[in-house]
Amino acid sequence: MAKARALDKRRKSIRNIRKITRTMELIATARYRKAMERATAVTDFTQRITQVVADLSSTGAEARHPLLETHPTTERGLLLVLSANRGLCGGYNASIVRTAVARYRELTQGTADQPGLELTVEVSGTRGNSALRYRDITVDQLYRQFDDQPAYAEVEEIANVYIDKYVKGQIDRLDVVYTRFVSMAKQEAVAETLLPFGALAEESASEAVGEVDYDFYPSAEGILAEIVPMSFRAKLFKCFLDAAVSEQIARMVAMKSATENADDMIKRLSMTYNRARQSQITNEIMEIIAGAEALAK
Amino acid sequence: MATLHVVVVTPEKTAVDASADFAVVPLFDGELGIGSNHTPLIGKLGHGELRLKSGNETTRYYLDEGFVQVRDNQVVVLTGTVSKVEEIDVKAAQEQLEKALAMVPTTDDEFAERDRLLAEARAQLHASRRHF
Repeated sequence: MAKARALDKRRKSIRNIRKITRTMELIATARYRKAMERATAVTDFTQRITQVVADLSSTGAEARHPLLETHPTTERGLLLVLSANRGLCGGYNASIVRTAVARYRELTQGTADQPGLELTVEVSGTRGNSALRYRDITVDQLYRQFDDQPAYAEVEEIANVYIDKYVKGQIDRLDVVYTRFVSMAKQEAVAETLLPFGALAEESASEAVGEVDYDFYPSAEGILAEIVPMSFRAKLFKCFLDAAVSEQIARMVAMKSATENADDMIKRLSMTYNRARQSQITNEIMEIIAGAEALAK
Repeated sequence: MATLHVVVVTPEKTAVDASADFAVVPLFDGELGIGSNHTPLIGKLGHGELRLKSGNETTRYYLDEGFVQVRDNQVVVLTGTVSKVEEIDVKAAQEQLEKALAMVPTTDDEFAERDRLLAEARAQLHASRRHF
């Protein structure tokens, strides 16, 4: 008797867990859609900036901005790690932390011709924070306000702080560890160097769109210099959005397989439960028959 | 007459996607009117008001720095934030103005910061006043 009831109890609790994971999967799906929309919007924005930059550089103007310049010596760096505030999203946080720790070691230990850096670590998301602390890495700043929909205004604030620090020479490089969204089926944790800002020239080389004779207010150089901080902000924002999208996908996938596992378990338990129930009934019948026979004698 | 196609893009979304007969954009040193068949231009924007005139209707937006690109009757505005003039927080702008006026800057950076805050607050107040 006891065994069948215990099995039934267990099955019930798994059913409840399945309900929860299924709901979480649905929530993650909805959030993923929203996050994806925003990520598309920022891509549109960066593409347009790239086009303006391409048009500008086709006039032969060269961008000059402190963000583009590599500092003569690289002594102080900043590492920004974008992790999640919550768990239950598979290997998402683990792979972020793994990449972050690797980059941290690489930067602080340095190489033969490059001494180790004095590194400031900033983390978004409580999960990454506790994981890094556990690995004895001091986290200087924790942002926890970023969830599935990071606001541009908030990211802009952080970006402005970084720009300020870099221009003033308080940091010589900025690295961001985040999960890049490649496609629905592929997201990878990457460490990218955002400052010194090098992307402006690379992207513009590829697609200069026709020769148009633009008027410039104030001047091509002036605009290029202004566009640098803006595209830096957009790029940082894109990192945050990519991380948000990838987190939702990771959670979706994790919860989906959790639900499927629960289904399997329920199936197996049902089978054992039915067998236990069957054998219990058989037992009882046998006892009754044995009792009746004993009485008949 | 060809009409203008105006697109305002922020990193968060495409805020405005409309056609207009005439557009006024706030360049860094003053407003610039753009009619149809305007010569191609790329300009830096300051804080201020973007007006789109279509027929007798005028829509007003507040922009917070950025860039404008005009080409083939396409007006593309890239900016960090954009809001309708009605949505400006007048009280906050007023506070910012007073705070900025009370600042006593001593370094170049502080001067620049104060000027930026002043310009922002004044442009917001100006835009909202015109509206009422």
